Amino acid sequence: MRKHKGRRAFLSVCTVPALILFAVFMLYPTLNIFVISMYKWGGYSLNKEFVGFDNFVKLFSDAKFWQSFQNTVLLIVVVTVVTMTMALITAAILTREKLRFKGFFWVIFYIPNILSAVVIAAIFSAVYDPSRGLLNTLISFFTGGGTAPVLWLGDQKVVIYSIAIAMIWQAVGYYMVMYTAAMSSVPESMYEAASLEGAGRVRQFFTITIPLIWTNIRTTLTFFIISSINISFLLVRAMTSGGPDGSTEVFLSYMYKQAYTNSSYGYGMAIGVLVFLFSFALSGLVNLVTRRESIDL
Amino acid sequence: MNKGDKLYRIFIYIVLILFALSIIVPVGWVFLASLKENAEFYQNPWSLPAGLYFENFARAWREAHMGEYFLNSVIVTAMALGILLIVALPAAYVLARYRFGGRRLIRTLFMGGLFINVSYIVVPIFLMLVDAGNWIGSPVFLNNRFVLALVYASTALPFTIYLLSSYFQTLPKEYEEAAYVDGSGYMQTMIRVMIPMARPSVITVILFNFLSFWNEYIIALTLMTQDRAKTLPVGLMNLMKAQNAAAQYGQMYAGLVMVMLPTLILYILVQKKLTQGMNVGGLKD
Amino acid sequence: MKRFFTLLITLVLTVSLFASCGLRDDDKDADGKTVLKVAVLESAYGKKMWEDVAAAYEADHQDIKIELTAEKNLEDVIGSKMKSGDYPDVVHLATGREAGLTETMVRENSLADISDILDEKVFGEEKTVKEKLIDGFTDTAATHPYGDDKMYMAPMFYGPCGLFYNAALFAEKNWSLPTTWDEMWELGQKAEVENIALFTYPTAGYFDSLIYALLCETGGVDFYNDCMQYKEGVWDDKNAREALDIVARLASYTEPTTVANANNDNYLKNQQLVLDNKALFMPNGTWVSGEMADAPRAEGFKWGFMALPAIESDKDRYSYTYFEQIWVPENADHKDEAKDFIAYLYSDKAVKIFAESGAIQPIQGVSDMLEGENKLFYSIYDTGAKAVMGGFAATNPVEGVSMVDTLFGTVNSIVSGDKTVDEWQEAIGKASDSLRKALKK
Repeated sequence: MRKHKGRRAFLSVCTVPALILFAVFMLYPTLNIFVISMYKWGGYSLNKEFVGFDNFVKLFSDAKFWQSFQNTVLLIVVVTVVTMTMALITAAILTREKLRFKGFFWVIFYIPNILSAVVIAAIFSAVYDPSRGLLNTLISFFTGGGTAPVLWLGDQKVVIYSIAIAMIWQAVGYYMVMYTAAMSSVPESMYEAASLEGAGRVRQFFTITIPLIWTNIRTTLTFFIISSINISFLLVRAMTSGGPDGSTEVFLSYMYKQAYTNSSYGYGMAIGVLVFLFSFALSGLVNLVTRRESIDL
Repeated sequence: MNKGDKLYRIFIYIVLILFALSIIVPVGWVFLASLKENAEFYQNPWSLPAGLYFENFARAWREAHMGEYFLNSVIVTAMALGILLIVALPAAYVLARYRFGGRRLIRTLFMGGLFINVSYIVVPIFLMLVDAGNWIGSPVFLNNRFVLALVYASTALPFTIYLLSSYFQTLPKEYEEAAYVDGSGYMQTMIRVMIPMARPSVITVILFNFLSFWNEYIIALTLMTQDRAKTLPVGLMNLMKAQNAAAQYGQMYAGLVMVMLPTLILYILVQKKLTQGMNVGGLKD
Repeated sequence: MKRFFTLLITLVLTVSLFASCGLRDDDKDADGKTVLKVAVLESAYGKKMWEDVAAAYEADHQDIKIELTAEKNLEDVIGSKMKSGDYPDVVHLATGREAGLTETMVRENSLADISDILDEKVFGEEKTVKEKLIDGFTDTAATHPYGDDKMYMAPMFYGPCGLFYNAALFAEKNWSLPTTWDEMWELGQKAEVENIALFTYPTAGYFDSLIYALLCETGGVDFYNDCMQYKEGVWDDKNAREALDIVARLASYTEPTTVANANNDNYLKNQQLVLDNKALFMPNGTWVSGEMADAPRAEGFKWGFMALPAIESDKDRYSYTYFEQIWVPENADHKDEAKDFIAYLYSDKAVKIFAESGAIQPIQGVSDMLEGENKLFYSIYDTGAKAVMGGFAATNPVEGVSMVDTLFGTVNSIVSGDKTVDEWQEAIGKASDSLRKALKK
């Protein structure tokens, strides 16, 4: 590209506004979190006490924090595996098979993703209600009502999966649409060639579809993990408040509890710092594990 | 078509239909529930509303001030989208198509921004706005729809720039070169030639961010402390709390519909264009 | 595209102009009156009574203008304002709420000493505030959080807590009310035959009043106070164990769907169980009749209310007295005016306005003003039950340790069988130990 006059000015005009907004409303507050995490501060008064890494040391012996850590990891793993599998399979079916009403399914599946977390929480509260919920009344319709109701939000062994189901319900459509877009760019000729060699649907899926959209899968995986941490918090906050007895507490809900309810704002921000580092590390890990020779067409 | 194939197709249809039902039924149920009278919520949840009780909407709109909150939401979302496009489009374009000193650093910064979670930076943002207000001697930055829009736009920058520059990278170089040969300047080339070409991607960005701005409630809850400055999701949370104090289920579901309906309508209008602008294969360096 | 941008920019500018004006609140009144900022929780009593009292106060004090904030989520509204240094002058917000804002103010020493209110003469009357208040309401950590003789929170609306039930159901089945826990368990067996659960609870948080009263029953008032002061070893005591065992036994009689709805969004469904005759008793406060006023109920339903059954028939029965508090932030602009306003709330005029909405203050002779259900509720102490007040002593914040979560939240796990009483007892002891070290001196 030839060097024109005013290139530098043009580049500045284009990037500086974005940089300023980013620095003021994202970078500075994030640095702030790191600073506050080293203080003992209740949040309202003027007495802040510098305690260094004390808050982090306490976190390591805080059983409730580990419980929330465990719950978060469980949710991320379960929800990611199920969502990705379901999204890939539905996307493959919708692109590869000649079906009627394709457009209809496509439109419907995406709907949960456009709903606010508040709305989703309200929907699932209605679904999970033990005696008048949509799910339990449906079950008792088939079983004749003889069995004890399932406590979707009350049984500590079940409740975390109830949250997971809500998260999967919310996310599948979005990733399905993403993958449909990617899959439709895979040339038909490759499938034809595979068919001639006698490869069935399943084999085509694993040998052609998956490898060719691998870069898409990698990138979406990273985004998915980041957004899971956030969505799980929004849903837990509105559906169970972390209960019963901490069994659905996740990172950010525990952070809120400490920062606001337990008057330990600095401690809460220390959790915030760990969440930041955790999501960073996890994406790095995912990136590393999923590294393959990229296939270009 | 052989028999196994036929069974397979039937199986696929059943799975897809069940999946679709799991979405249509609960969402449709909310719409029906918003038309029920309070007493009906104590009966079988599968029963249809006894009549069309539109009073729920009227009361939510007037008594719970959902009307005012609706207006706030429209204003804030529109402004935030405007700011975001004006700021993100040039930045994404330049980062995707020009090589210059500091480019790597800027890109790394924005990529790192993807990991910052709004839930924990919201209070520092709030305190910063307060300090700024004290400094100029008046709390103009709180309960200010423009500031809220600015914060929304800023927090959406990393993802938006990422998405837009991925798209810009797929466009062939020849267009710009042709424009320069015609004597067009940098700015003119960008605005006249390149940005219009990125239209599919811009539409995707608008839709995604519309959804997240419209549905957002944690930032709005913190920065809008006065009643009349609230946005729709925050108002809905209020309504749900009020519902707890006096068990007004119908009104609550009417509020849910008010939050849901605009997103549904917009989605149905633009759903065909949704994925045209997507290229999430990652930035190729 | 260019036209598109011009349009966009114009739009943004116009709208931002429109948006940034007219959304500010004023601190100074145009007539030079002092603006007193009063922030109150809009609870089941509604906000009209506060508007009426504020209007009455303004009528009696021409130099004061009251700026009233009444919100259901008051913590969200004033919490962020206070972080920004904008403090209300008077706040009516009790301890024991989910967000724990009042507790945080106590822990951070951010409340103003308002002891002089007690000796202030109530507006237009001969008596002082102290003379009007019922004895005992200013003797606990709920008003004197630091255990000294300084009052930081004034007692407002009060009500006995205990077990609520459907009196009509007991009459219909010809069951008598249990006066001891043994009779309670017998009743549990009888009810089970009829497919009625003995017990339910709105959320685990409602166990506060129940456990406080239980501790008094098993170990006496001094023992209860030791627990509240985090005394060493109190939770290893057999009295503590006895109280926890009773809760565990109640847990085994709990209606099975209760845990699933025992959160802030669904607790009304648990209260509904009593209205529908699916559960006999629930721990609650007098506000519950108002809270459930619009809910459908079993035919002939009639609220009944009793103190906890006694350990043995010759032992005392207890009922926890809950009261809401009103306080002044240390950083308020108009502390003197604020105290004057609080004293006014105890005037006959204000007491009457509040009582009309069902909000009862601990004023001598207030029981004469009561009618209907309230008369029944507030007569609990006339029929032999003893009152318990107060709560845990104030501590500095301890990261990761919450007595509320440990002592009450765990009940959910006891009910579902995920934790044993031994584990529970041990966890409470541990929490008590770490909070003892953080006690305010």
